[in-house]
Amino acid sequence: MTVAQHPVIARGAVLAAGQRSIPWLRIALSILALAVLLYLPFVLQSRVLFGTRLTNMQLLNIGLAQVNLTLIAVVGALSLNFLTGCAGLVSIGHAAFFALGAMGASFAGSQLGLPFLVTLIIAALVGALAGVLAGLPSLRVRGLYFVLSTLAVHFIAAYLFSEFQYAFHDVAGVTMPDAQIGGFELSNGIRWYFFLLPIAFLAYVLFRNTLRFREGRALLAMRDNELAAAAAGIDVRILRLKAFAFSSAIAGIVGALQAYYLTTVSAEFYSLNLAIQFIAMIIIGGMGSLSGSVLGAVVWLLLPALIGGLATELKGSDLALARIIVEHKPQVVNLVFGSLVAILLIYAPDGLAGGWRRIKAWLANRPTGGAS
Amino acid sequence: MLAQFIVSGLALGSIYGLVALGFAVIYKATEVFNFAQGILMVVGAYLAVTATASLDLPLPIAVAFVLGGAALLGIIIQLVLIRPLAGQPILPVIMITIALSIVLKALIEIIYGVTPRSVELPLPTGGFVIGGVRLSQLHLTAAVVSWICMGLFALFFRFTRTGLLMRATADSQEAAVLSGIDVNKVNCAAWAVGSMLAAIGGIFLGKLQLASVDLEHIGLLALPAVVIGGLQSIPGAILGGLLVGVIEQLSSGYISPKSRDVFIYAPLLLILMFRPWGLFGQRELGRV
Repeated sequence: MTVAQHPVIARGAVLAAGQRSIPWLRIALSILALAVLLYLPFVLQSRVLFGTRLTNMQLLNIGLAQVNLTLIAVVGALSLNFLTGCAGLVSIGHAAFFALGAMGASFAGSQLGLPFLVTLIIAALVGALAGVLAGLPSLRVRGLYFVLSTLAVHFIAAYLFSEFQYAFHDVAGVTMPDAQIGGFELSNGIRWYFFLLPIAFLAYVLFRNTLRFREGRALLAMRDNELAAAAAGIDVRILRLKAFAFSSAIAGIVGALQAYYLTTVSAEFYSLNLAIQFIAMIIIGGMGSLSGSVLGAVVWLLLPALIGGLATELKGSDLALARIIVEHKPQVVNLVFGSLVAILLIYAPDGLAGGWRRIKAWLANRPTGGAS
Repeated sequence: MLAQFIVSGLALGSIYGLVALGFAVIYKATEVFNFAQGILMVVGAYLAVTATASLDLPLPIAVAFVLGGAALLGIIIQLVLIRPLAGQPILPVIMITIALSIVLKALIEIIYGVTPRSVELPLPTGGFVIGGVRLSQLHLTAAVVSWICMGLFALFFRFTRTGLLMRATADSQEAAVLSGIDVNKVNCAAWAVGSMLAAIGGIFLGKLQLASVDLEHIGLLALPAVVIGGLQSIPGAILGGLLVGVIEQLSSGYISPKSRDVFIYAPLLLILMFRPWGLFGQRELGRV
């Protein structure tokens, strides 16, 4: 048997050749993806693709506003996944940092009259500070008890937000000032899109690089085995606070962006449900996987749109199931969302990203017919 | 005023204590931190709506219907959702109870609609005044029933075979398996009991207010109640419930209804920082 005929070595050679050719493929795909992302908002705005009119159904019922909110949600999901999936700190109080960020930005923008970008930085600072305070119980308690302390933080922040709302605004909610960069106003969906797209991309790169550097590796070590990490010279307590501050600073920015985009947010918006939706996103996408966060947020975008489209199609149908979908759209969305989370937890705990990895691994290792 | 707030706080607190007890039973036996306890309570309230508004059952049969339905639901949850996750870290287990609460909430809104429904159970609704303190009969009934249920479950844990097996399993799952206890059956029993206790709380809260999914928020108060009392301690859960009820009434009465959450969750945070094993629980020692 010559070297080339040996199945294992031959496959190795194929893999090596494959690896050499990958960058071209990847570059081509990246350019294609970039082109799609740049063209997408115009298609959604005009409902026209290369001169052909598209129906709502063909566009999956998605509008530009949903895409923009998803871009914001992507950043939120990234920051929660960093904390929960990568640092192993389960938080069900992430909406608290959204609320505090929005509050900080609103105060800085309306009361102090600071420009838009500065208010985002203030939102990040408020988020980081709140994150350190909320992270303090993590010095004492683990696991379950820590989850509860994030629940407590959620309710306290929700109360602070409602006090803030009634002190400076009215029942309708906190009204944000206009989002302006220099003289350029983010006045329509397309402008917002081209502002949010780089932010989402930057956030992704920021988290990915953080995980590759010293602190990030220490974080993963701490998640996998805290004692071993401590023994290796990592100050786990400081590290936990840092992770918390970093994640909640980003969450603060997310909250501010959300509020600016929606122009008015009320205390009811920051319900426990909001935090739970973000946890559902990272579970659907994949715990501890950054690309999973993006996937999860996209599922979160597509699901209501698809069910909404289905409801429009089914309108007038006499089937009991069809009537339920038409009459209880938001409930059906929640039902599918919750069931999806439960099914994934039982059958694929690493989410869609993990499922995709397993499919790729299976494809790479599947026995090839003629090799032996 | 103070006495009034304390009395109604204790009455409400008895209901919370009952829900919290159900929570503690599930936690002790299966080590599952059940975020769906609040929605299980709501399920109880809506089962009572079905029993009275749709089926028109008399009181004892209606109560049996609610309890049976809740127990069945608890067993289904254990078999379908919790059992497949045995041995997993805490996050998936917590998440599956959160997913469960999302699903149950959606189902309730699909079946019963989004407008709150009234619970038509023929419970006493009048009130009387003792020494300037107004006491509603419904509050009193709720408190008395809660205390009777707590007493019954205490006896159940102390004197019945199933209760003994449940305590043994709570002490150590592995040792229980080794001694030939069918842990799965015990866990089913724990979920049935926990869900039944939540449902009883739900009947009363549904009657005191209206049956709606917003009651879940109140049911979630069982979590701080349990932790303030001590997660491992069943009397602690009851006392925690009473404490939360009184704090709630005092803060709603003297400050504002919105401030309720802060006065309940801020002490929770303090307890977690300085005495994580709760007021009445036993200190868990970490060993390497």
